[in-house]
Amino acid sequence: MTKKIILLSMAASVSLFAQSELEEVKALLAQQIKTTQALQKRVAELEKKQQHTATHAATKSKTVKHHKHQPKPIEEEGTYTTAEDTMPSEQHTQTFDQKSFLPDIALILDGSAVGRNVDNSTYETQYIPGFSTYNAANPNEIPFNKDRGFNFNYAEISMHSTVGPYFDADAIFHLQPDEFEIEEAYITSRSMPYGLRAKLGKFRSEFGRINAIHQHAWKFTSQPLVFNALFGSEGINDAGVQLQWVLPTDTYVMAGIEAMQGSNDVSFGDTEKNNLYIGYLKSSFDIGDTSTLLAGASILHGKNEQGLNTDVYGADLTALVALSSYSSLTWQSELLYRNKTTDIGKEKQAGYYTQLTYKYNQNWQGGVRYDSLYKNLDSQPDDLDRFSAVLQYSPFEFTKFRLEYSYDRSKAFGDLADQRKNISQILLDFTIEAGAHGAHAF
Amino acid sequence: MKKILLFTLICSASLFARMNVVASYPYLGKIVKAVGRENVKVKVLASAKFDPHFVIPKPSLIPAIARADMLVANGAGLEIGWLPPLLKRANNPKVRIGAKGFVDVSRAIHLIDKPKAVSRAYGDVHPEGNPHFDTDPHNVLPIAHYIVKKLSQLDEAHASEYAQNFSRFSAHWKTYLRTFDSQMRRCKGKKVVQYHELYNYLLKRFGIKAVAAIEPLPGIAPSSRHTMELISKMRKQHIGTILQDPYHEKKTAKFIAAKTGAKVIILPHDVGAVSGTGTLESFYNTIAKRLCH
Repeated sequence: MTKKIILLSMAASVSLFAQSELEEVKALLAQQIKTTQALQKRVAELEKKQQHTATHAATKSKTVKHHKHQPKPIEEEGTYTTAEDTMPSEQHTQTFDQKSFLPDIALILDGSAVGRNVDNSTYETQYIPGFSTYNAANPNEIPFNKDRGFNFNYAEISMHSTVGPYFDADAIFHLQPDEFEIEEAYITSRSMPYGLRAKLGKFRSEFGRINAIHQHAWKFTSQPLVFNALFGSEGINDAGVQLQWVLPTDTYVMAGIEAMQGSNDVSFGDTEKNNLYIGYLKSSFDIGDTSTLLAGASILHGKNEQGLNTDVYGADLTALVALSSYSSLTWQSELLYRNKTTDIGKEKQAGYYTQLTYKYNQNWQGGVRYDSLYKNLDSQPDDLDRFSAVLQYSPFEFTKFRLEYSYDRSKAFGDLADQRKNISQILLDFTIEAGAHGAHAF
Repeated sequence: MKKILLFTLICSASLFARMNVVASYPYLGKIVKAVGRENVKVKVLASAKFDPHFVIPKPSLIPAIARADMLVANGAGLEIGWLPPLLKRANNPKVRIGAKGFVDVSRAIHLIDKPKAVSRAYGDVHPEGNPHFDTDPHNVLPIAHYIVKKLSQLDEAHASEYAQNFSRFSAHWKTYLRTFDSQMRRCKGKKVVQYHELYNYLLKRFGIKAVAAIEPLPGIAPSSRHTMELISKMRKQHIGTILQDPYHEKKTAKFIAAKTGAKVIILPHDVGAVSGTGTLESFYNTIAKRLCH
């Protein structure tokens, strides 16, 4: 019985509340209508007033011709409202929405079709006499364009984001059909004073010119021979720290030092502690309106697998002549000299590459390159070299098709002595950069 | 006595301390100089001879950015292909993107042609809108005002001078605009074709109709199919004017002109892009003269 009464009273009170709510809404509506009417009235009044002042001002400006202009403080001249000032104060994003903090993400793809006069099983056994050897258990890595026929070389995912007021973060993930590699992952300082910038993580060293540049931004599809011979296919890419300083001069001078672990086992490889030290000095200046020069000198000092010193000296020179907005001629050369101390004695080896590229217009460019390893161990050949020629078509800024021919006289195959054979190769390659890809540096 | 001398010396030194301002394009350099006058030292990065989208990021440009107190950029994506790597290498926190000294003047402009959908399938689109607002002299004052606002914040000691400079420049520019407008009014209703959408702000303001572009998509070189379509369109609509910038190839425009009997007009896109356009006034005068005479 009591239950029923309670239920009934509850129901009644609900309907009562509902009724009172309805009345409330009605009252609110009436009030709204009133305010709207009042606002409309005011708008009309203001419009009338504005018209009046406008005509008044017009007549005034007609009559007062010589009005002495008094400089007013800028805040009062509110005639120019900027987009920033008129930014809507209301936020249109979802609460706790983090979309605007997402990093810039880019996807880079590279693949090729290859024709070559050496069959795949032989090609895999390649080495450079005096610089590397063939080891069946641990063959030399060939990261790009390994097989005759089709190759899918890699998909690369690069990300860039600002971490906070003090650091930026970058990561490049290099994905090959059966390999995932952290190509680079580092943080860079944003706010160091005196023209300084620090970097730490795993990164490509800025030793020389081409070492810091990724394959997709190279002018040729293959790594310069001298870099491959002295540092392997990865180049100097290691865990470490970097400090760079832009000198406060009118001419560009940049000095940099790096300390790295030294895990590159082609020249170094003693990783008991951080054993690789790098220093470089780079300078650039213009000659006239259209030509520019960039020159650098670099040094690497580290310990090799025998725990003894390896020093590498590098010199690079790049000259660019801009012929128009889209056409330019670039000459780029690098020379590397290695002095490696081993149990037997000092091994002195050197090589260089020099390349000339001509950009005809936005779509077409071409180039030739000569690679040479001109100084080798006493018992080893010193006539190792390679010729390359490339023709590139870019229908769009972020799309490249390259036809490249190379004639390589630097390789030997298998573990037998005197197995040198020249490689003749023709290659058609595609490279794309999709997504938020940052502009390439010079 | 010595003390006073020293004091005045120090005072005058701080008074003469000039702001190092780097401007991405020549027209911005001129505006900064007009409102900053003797209190600023201006260095311009890009040459007016070249396409503003494709400036070569030469390392030789870095020292000026490294020592800048303020960097004035066009913004709206125009410098995206070349300025970021330079900024990164200059190691100057004062002019980093987002810092007080980084001034993006596109924020003072109501951008037009903002694409409804953004994809690189549509070519080299600028998601923020058309960045080529410098070809319309009516955009000079909002930009100048914005620069003055930023200059006064960075260099408070000279704020009143910047304000004075601005009102002087503003008065001068308003007079200039009157003569410019009277010149431009003559070609209201004219129909034109342009190579790249460089002059939209100006054309829109003066009721000139930009019917099409020689580029099939922004940043994409002309294709024969698009060119043939354009020729038939121009014939049908009796379009007699092709606006060509000084830095793109002129072959296509000349070919179209030969087929349609249209006239190719080379319009500068920035101060100093063609000879005799060394000042803001002569730059805009050249545009008005070539377009409306």
